[in-house]
Amino acid sequence: MLRDVTFGQYYPGNSFVHRMDARIKLVLTLLFMVGIFFVQSFAVFGFVTVFLLAVIFISQVPLRSVLRSVKGIVVLLVLTAVLNVFFAKGATPAEQPLWSWWKIEIYANGLKQAAKIFLRLVYLVIGSSVLTLTTTPVDLTHAVESLLKPLRVIKFPVHEFALIMSLTLSFIPSLIEETDRIIRAQKARGADFDTGGLIKRAKAFVPILIPLLVGGFRRAEELANAMNSRCYEGATKRTCMRVMKLGWRDYVAAFVTVAFFAGIFVLYAMRGSWGGVTWLYF
Amino acid sequence: MSRADKVKAVVTPDVPQNAAIFAQDLNFVYNAKSNFAKQALSHIDLTVNKGEFVAIVGHTGSGKTTFVQHLNALIRVQSGYLNVLGADLSARKPDLKALRRQVGMVFQYPEYQLFADTVLEDVCFGLKNFGVDKDQREQMAQDALQLVGLDFDQIKSKSPFDLSGGEKRRVALAGVLAMKPQILVMDEPTAGLDPQGKAEVLSLVRSLNQQQGVTVLMVSHDMNEVYENADRVVVFRNGEVAFDMPPRQLFRNEAEIEAMNLEVPAMAAFCNELERHGVVLPDSCRTVDEVFAAVKALREVPNA
Ligand SMILES: Nc1ncnc2c1ncn2[C@@H]1O[C@H](COP(=O)(O)OP(=O)(O)O)[C@@H](O)[C@H]1O
Ligand SMILES: [Mg+2]
Repeated sequence: MLRDVTFGQYYPGNSFVHRMDARIKLVLTLLFMVGIFFVQSFAVFGFVTVFLLAVIFISQVPLRSVLRSVKGIVVLLVLTAVLNVFFAKGATPAEQPLWSWWKIEIYANGLKQAAKIFLRLVYLVIGSSVLTLTTTPVDLTHAVESLLKPLRVIKFPVHEFALIMSLTLSFIPSLIEETDRIIRAQKARGADFDTGGLIKRAKAFVPILIPLLVGGFRRAEELANAMNSRCYEGATKRTCMRVMKLGWRDYVAAFVTVAFFAGIFVLYAMRGSWGGVTWLYF
Repeated sequence: MSRADKVKAVVTPDVPQNAAIFAQDLNFVYNAKSNFAKQALSHIDLTVNKGEFVAIVGHTGSGKTTFVQHLNALIRVQSGYLNVLGADLSARKPDLKALRRQVGMVFQYPEYQLFADTVLEDVCFGLKNFGVDKDQREQMAQDALQLVGLDFDQIKSKSPFDLSGGEKRRVALAGVLAMKPQILVMDEPTAGLDPQGKAEVLSLVRSLNQQQGVTVLMVSHDMNEVYENADRVVVFRNGEVAFDMPPRQLFRNEAEIEAMNLEVPAMAAFCNELERHGVVLPDSCRTVDEVFAAVKALREVPNA
């Protein structure tokens, strides 16, 4: 069913990670995403895996829920990695291909690179889903709004941007639900979406799309009226009901994460000069 | 007899001869196997006989919609047994087309499913899907639109989106009735209508039930309309059938009804009060007129 799509699904909880300030979580997630590109070896990937598992454990979100976000795009990730196998050359000009046919050559180095790219993409997805699993869309929008505030200087409509974002996020579930309902209602009238040629199938969507559009516009209009009747006015002097404040959790998490990635940057910067500890650079 | 047949023979219950809908030990879980699993139906046993008018009531979230969507195979049976008009819906591949033609399903706010350019086209949508030919379609659509009290010639080429709320609802209803279903399943058909619109929809449904023998299953939050129209009331509570009895008997249990956050219909409360004062009317008296006539008749009988 459509509802099974897990789009940035929040996993309710009260863990350390859930209770952190959404701004810090967002910033640390960004740091994680950048940091992962400085991970060059399997050994360091091992450290990152331990780090991620620790975060997931602390967040008390079941591993299964986290992995579900990867499941949806695993084909895409594998494809990307496989393509890389074909385009990579040897690490040194001297390296012989493991296998070659016509113009296609596969090097051990290519396999290594592909595996790393795959890991990197998977960790990117996992990292961002830990954020959305532990942060409500509302908090996330507030965090974005708060972090973008400096852009007001250049007249960027930060508040409106955040509003659009939160409206979009709040419309998605209700739109999914509505689509589901309309599909069922038309099926009950004998509509058939599963048989026939391409044109017949495309036509079968008209009875879904039109009520969906009409309904979407109706909702948008109702919402606009509701906001107008409460005298809603953009960014002028609005305050938040819940003021975001940094707590000890945020300092601890920020300290640990920054320290961890500082370490990774150091390893990255010193690659090649630590000849003795080769396992670190495998 | 093969092993599979034996197992089947043990599992398949006997469906009563006269049953239009027969459910036994029906269970349904949303998002099974996830952390958000939600048991929406548990151990539902329910029989609706042909020609009956049965109402389903219950608090929001008690599983009414989930249950009625099973009847059209919009939700497939997860566990338990369900038979609708002789078709075994627990089977792997029931004949959906035949089933959906015989079981007309009116959803909550059915007007939101209108889509065609003209009213006529929209009403014909179901007929077309079920393979009725063109000439016949138009005639059946005309009958259905007249049945719901709309002027066919005046409305047939209007856009459904230009109609009033009440008219839209009736067009949507006509789109289901045009298929001449044997069972009419309605999920809160009168929600959001004005009192006049409610009365019209109900009298239409009642006349379909009484004159054409259509089996009716109606989900409703309005206890007054349930009380006056249904032959039998099924109360859902947390996905289970809490009560299943004729309306007069059900609403005698005022305390239990209120404990389930349901309201006692005005006429039921009135008759209960009369009974507490020793005036017992027949169980068939439920509308104002019937109660009035019965009380009057009692007064005219000389006291013995
Ligand atoms: N598509 C769905 N996904 C998950 N849970 C659902 C879905 N539809 C209904 N539910 C849940 O199942 C329960 C029964 O819902 P429903 O059958 O709609 O009740 P009712 O019609 O009596 O209000 C509710 O707790 C509801 O939250
Ligand atoms: Mg419902």
